[in-house]
Amino acid sequence: MRLVIATCAVDYEGRLSAHLPTATRLLMVKADGSVSVHSDDRAYKPLNWMTQPCELRAEPGRWVVSNPKGETLTITIDEVHLDVQHELGADPGLQKHGVEAQLQELLAANPGFLSQGLRLVRREYPTDIGPVDLLCRDAAGQAVAVEIKRRGEIDGVEQLARYLERLDLDGRLRPVRGILAAQRIKPQAQVLATARGIECVEVDCERLRGAGVERLTLF
Amino acid sequence: MKFRCERDVFLEALSAAGRAVASRSGALPVLGGVRLALSGDTLKATGTDLDVTITVEAAVSGGADGVSVAPARLLTDIVRAVEPGAVVLEAEADELRIASGRSHFTVRTHPSGDFPRLPVPSGDTLSLPAAELFEALRQVTRAASSEDSRPILTGVLMAAEAGGLRLVATDSYRLAVRDLPGVGVLAAGQSVLVPSRALSELTRLPASADVVLRLGAHDATFEAGPVSLTTRLIEGEFPNYRQLIPSGYPNRLIVGREPLLDAVRRVKLLARDATTPVRIAMRPTGIDLTVVTTDWGTATEDVDAKYEGAEMTVAFNPAYLIDGVEAIASDEITLDTLDALKPATLRPTEGDDLLYLLMPVRVS
Repeated sequence: MRLVIATCAVDYEGRLSAHLPTATRLLMVKADGSVSVHSDDRAYKPLNWMTQPCELRAEPGRWVVSNPKGETLTITIDEVHLDVQHELGADPGLQKHGVEAQLQELLAANPGFLSQGLRLVRREYPTDIGPVDLLCRDAAGQAVAVEIKRRGEIDGVEQLARYLERLDLDGRLRPVRGILAAQRIKPQAQVLATARGIECVEVDCERLRGAGVERLTLF
Repeated sequence: MKFRCERDVFLEALSAAGRAVASRSGALPVLGGVRLALSGDTLKATGTDLDVTITVEAAVSGGADGVSVAPARLLTDIVRAVEPGAVVLEAEADELRIASGRSHFTVRTHPSGDFPRLPVPSGDTLSLPAAELFEALRQVTRAASSEDSRPILTGVLMAAEAGGLRLVATDSYRLAVRDLPGVGVLAAGQSVLVPSRALSELTRLPASADVVLRLGAHDATFEAGPVSLTTRLIEGEFPNYRQLIPSGYPNRLIVGREPLLDAVRRVKLLARDATTPVRIAMRPTGIDLTVVTTDWGTATEDVDAKYEGAEMTVAFNPAYLIDGVEAIASDEITLDTLDALKPATLRPTEGDDLLYLLMPVRVS
């Protein structure tokens, strides 16, 4: 990772033209070659950027970043205030705590919320490609693998499909049903899940917290 | 308009009238104002949100009659902040000048013509004992609904009952019934539905000996000393509450009010959301209170009590249970139950003028 703080102007030519007038900015060159230009304004997306595949050509007082589509990002540098490089190494990925962990805990305590008669066999059930969040049995005794996400997207469906493929190799479990549980599930993910025979269940955290409790009324 | 008065007298009037001033964003700007009307040495301060109107009369030293509508919250903050002593107010064009000691403020006012025309109190005057009425209202308004989706349930039914006055409120989860024997302000069979918010405001007004009630066709005015509160009445049919009250109970618990209140408040600390119930396990020598939550843990406490009936566990919304127990003034309360899923009744152990019916919560 190379970090450069420089007084610079930035011009983009491609699908449209864009110009950033001269100011002090952070230029970030990542190990994959992608270049992004940041201002000192909130944790927000770059002002301009060029993703891989792209090529950075450093000339005196000027960087030119171009990609095969013919787009160019020209950074005209007046003064460099800082130029450092650091090896970050492989990233372990995002560890999601909070909502997902809480959802897993709540659904483990109330699996019937996902499907009537569902009972928990084990949390974090191991497979040879990683643990599935919940393994349950339904009222008929069929094994059910549950993958829990904060937001249900295509990635989550594909992840669960891979687990189901591995779990189906186990004669004690086969055939295994799949349920993708999330607070919100995107329509594209629902379409893919249906195509893969996976059920989708949207979960209301508040209701789940109150699961097993019913407010009765006088009239 | 120009007048001079003591800061504390003016502040009291502003605070009382300000309770009716609209706090909703999006309301007409003028409804955020308090109307000051001076006639001779009498100042009338009025606030309204169109549903409830509060007018307070205060004795001042009048200089020039007139009307001004000033931003209620700002004016109250200014008057509260100035040094104790005399305050002089003078309205001119679209400004109100406030002077006290070395402090001088000029605030912009609303056009007084924009202030809504106030309902004129109508109907015969009926007198009620203020202390008794206020206590009864505090006991029942807590059971009224605050959700506008069912307007009928946001009201308190005031009905003539056996020569007295009966107050009833319910939000469908609990029902409070309070009788005021001998308070015969309504004709036999007559009943009105008064917004509980207006009645709650009424109970917060400075105490006076009597409350004068004027019932109009569509509104009611309560006059307590120098304060008058006018509210629109709710149109519609109140639920048939009588059929909800069981005729008898097989199980009776008698428990001290304070020990029960303290214990419920303590175990409720674990109920961090509105859905977590408190479970009450009833046995002959006492009760065990339990709150269990997935997120936070468990709280238990036992309380000495006398119980006659089948041992059982019943669960309630702890906030509703606290409301009911708080409403009862006696040292001991009686909790009558049928079973874990049918309405339970809280009453004072002595006296039968208050009944608080509470629906249990079903727990698995």
